[in-house]
Amino acid sequence: MQIFLSALMLGCVLLFGLPADGLAADGGRPLILTTTTDLADITRAIVGDRAEVASIADGKEDPHFLTARPGYIVKARDADAWVRVGLELEIGWEGPILRDSRNPKIQEGAPGHIDASADVWVLDIPRRPVTRDMGDVHPHGNPHYWLDPLNGRIAARTIATRLAMLFPDHAATFEANLRGFEKQLDEAMFGPAPVARHGGQRLWKLLLEEQPLPADPAPQGWYGLLAPYRGRAIVTYHRSWIYLAHRFGLTIPVELEPKPGIPPGAKHLAAVIETVRAEKARVILQEPFYSRKAADLVAGNTDAAVVVCPNTVHGSPEVSSYLQLIDRVVQRLAQAMAPTR
Amino acid sequence: MQRTAIILLFGFIIAWTGTIVHAQAQNPGAADDTLISPARQALAKDGLVRGLDLDASVVIDTFYYHDDSEEGFAHVKEEISGFGHSHGAGDDDHHHAEVENGFNLRHIELGLSAAVDPYFRAYTTLAFEDGNTEIEEAVIQTSSLPFALTLSGGKFFSGIGRINRQHSHEWDFFDQPLVYELLFGPHGLQEKGVQLTWLAPTPFYLLFGAEAFNGDNEKMFQSVEADELPEKDGPRLYTGFLKAGPDLGDRHAAQVGLSFAYGRHQEAHDGNADGADDHWLDGESTLWGVDAVYKYNAKRPHGQGDVVIQAEYFNRLKDLQVEQHDLIPAFTGRDREDHQDGYYIQALYGFAPRWRAGARWEQVGLINDVELPNLTEENFDPSSRAAFMIDWKLSEFSALRAQAARGEYETEEGDETVWEYILQWQVTFGKHAAHAF
Repeated sequence: MQIFLSALMLGCVLLFGLPADGLAADGGRPLILTTTTDLADITRAIVGDRAEVASIADGKEDPHFLTARPGYIVKARDADAWVRVGLELEIGWEGPILRDSRNPKIQEGAPGHIDASADVWVLDIPRRPVTRDMGDVHPHGNPHYWLDPLNGRIAARTIATRLAMLFPDHAATFEANLRGFEKQLDEAMFGPAPVARHGGQRLWKLLLEEQPLPADPAPQGWYGLLAPYRGRAIVTYHRSWIYLAHRFGLTIPVELEPKPGIPPGAKHLAAVIETVRAEKARVILQEPFYSRKAADLVAGNTDAAVVVCPNTVHGSPEVSSYLQLIDRVVQRLAQAMAPTR
Repeated sequence: MQRTAIILLFGFIIAWTGTIVHAQAQNPGAADDTLISPARQALAKDGLVRGLDLDASVVIDTFYYHDDSEEGFAHVKEEISGFGHSHGAGDDDHHHAEVENGFNLRHIELGLSAAVDPYFRAYTTLAFEDGNTEIEEAVIQTSSLPFALTLSGGKFFSGIGRINRQHSHEWDFFDQPLVYELLFGPHGLQEKGVQLTWLAPTPFYLLFGAEAFNGDNEKMFQSVEADELPEKDGPRLYTGFLKAGPDLGDRHAAQVGLSFAYGRHQEAHDGNADGADDHWLDGESTLWGVDAVYKYNAKRPHGQGDVVIQAEYFNRLKDLQVEQHDLIPAFTGRDREDHQDGYYIQALYGFAPRWRAGARWEQVGLINDVELPNLTEENFDPSSRAAFMIDWKLSEFSALRAQAARGEYETEEGDETVWEYILQWQVTFGKHAAHAF
């Protein structure tokens, strides 16, 4: 009896005392799994070659609606960290993948579960209780925040900070890579000369406080490209571009969807056409995975042009990085709003 | 000895708590935080937020039903040769509220789930219908066992097959396939017991599962209380299954499964319909099955262009001995074997955003042999059914469905052809957890 009890207790110590993290990832390099391709690109910029980064979504479909597949469970099983957009973007599919992966490192609440929305500026936070008759409304705010380059910068810092805590051996490398990414982003946003002169951090702070940016040297980059069009109106298919509009001073008076997730109907499109004319909107912006029928109808009845841009990395062949994602839509918007178009 | 035990116990506690990593938020780069939204700065130092909600969801499923069978399709199903169920004389025929020609309300489903603590999660599904409340599932499940193990216990749907663990509101058609209803009954294989599953460390998805159940299934794995029958304590039913999902790349996904079940089975019959049982059988049932599903994701909004093809096959053998026969004592000790099988194959296609069309073909009794205690063999023909459906998912939470089916059934009262027509209207509300693959 004594031997049995000792063996049982030893068994308990071994079973529960062992690290409950299953099997190690490939040959020593940590595996970081992100939910979207945008987060994967940002995370890759931070980790460099110190970790393997993979994305669950492939960027070609609407990130709201992913169907859970066995392949995702296997990836999640082997992951050392999980990065998600948050604000309930992934609520339709994240739960079963995390649960069936049996990987305690990446469960919600574990340090390996990283919510990239932790520090970002959130728009569309509902001021009253959300009910489902409002359509597909997210109760914590609009989750498409990565389309504001400032939020991309902030999310990168959130991810880097947590990864440095999880993998302290690489903390210095992650910090250096993060600074490099921030510099690239700042230069794309304001132009290399203003960043060299004033520093990206200061320029962003001025922008946030709605102060005028220094004129010497004059800001170029994305800011410079869209500066002439501040105050202009654009129309979008889904309410997914508000962060981009907010950052660059554009307004979005109406969407083609009458409510989020509800397809456009004839009556609503008639109202959209009126609004486009009244607000002199010149652009109808939508993602490639939506049908163009409604946008083409509105464009045919107004001066607006249809601009199709992906809102995720790899949503179209030319967009293979986060900076390219923002760059593409900014360039296309500037082209479409130019007076000589 | 006591001192050693105490030291070992402390060692166990320390080792266990040592596996829980404590996160201290450190800012290694001493970066400037002033760009961070102020509302979130309070949370910035601690990124660990646990959800404390209870997920509760309700399903309401109402439908209009019509079949052109004289005595009703439910009656036809009970009479299909080779699959007739065994009720003793005194048994109260427990059926779901029978589907009638006209308007119907399927049982209201109330689903509750939450994380209990760092070690367990739990969920329960309660089914309410007029005059009857049932516990469909009540499960406690581990969430932090090592070696990719998960242990579940309580009352739940067995993991065999593919449709078995789905609730009625998850079905792709209005009803479950014939093979399920005839082999397991309207609830599927639903039992009290435990389940252990293991996700193998393979580069592709491979799950092994084993279950131990009491054995309460009136079709194949039941225990009858009678003086004439030996008593055996539960667990009386054991199952094993595996599910494998090869990696097929971006747009394609598939899963294949094998299932096996073995358990004690007893039956009591009232041969001369005088209200009292007069013969009793005791033995075992064996079941094996194979299931497969293939899904194509066209990457267009709302499932347009998506394809799903799914099929399952089950083969069962009931191997019983007559324990006692009051009408024909010579039969006592003789064997009775029932060997039947059945399958279905269904295909779904998203022909427009939010719209799907589906077709299902099924057969039961391709193998349909009965060896009787009178030393004769009977062989019955198969029954089959074809169904076609269209459904419209207005959102992730509401759907309309129209379905028509025509079946040819080989029953003890002769051949019968039955047409069924269904219009279904279904919603779910509340915080509903996402569905599995």
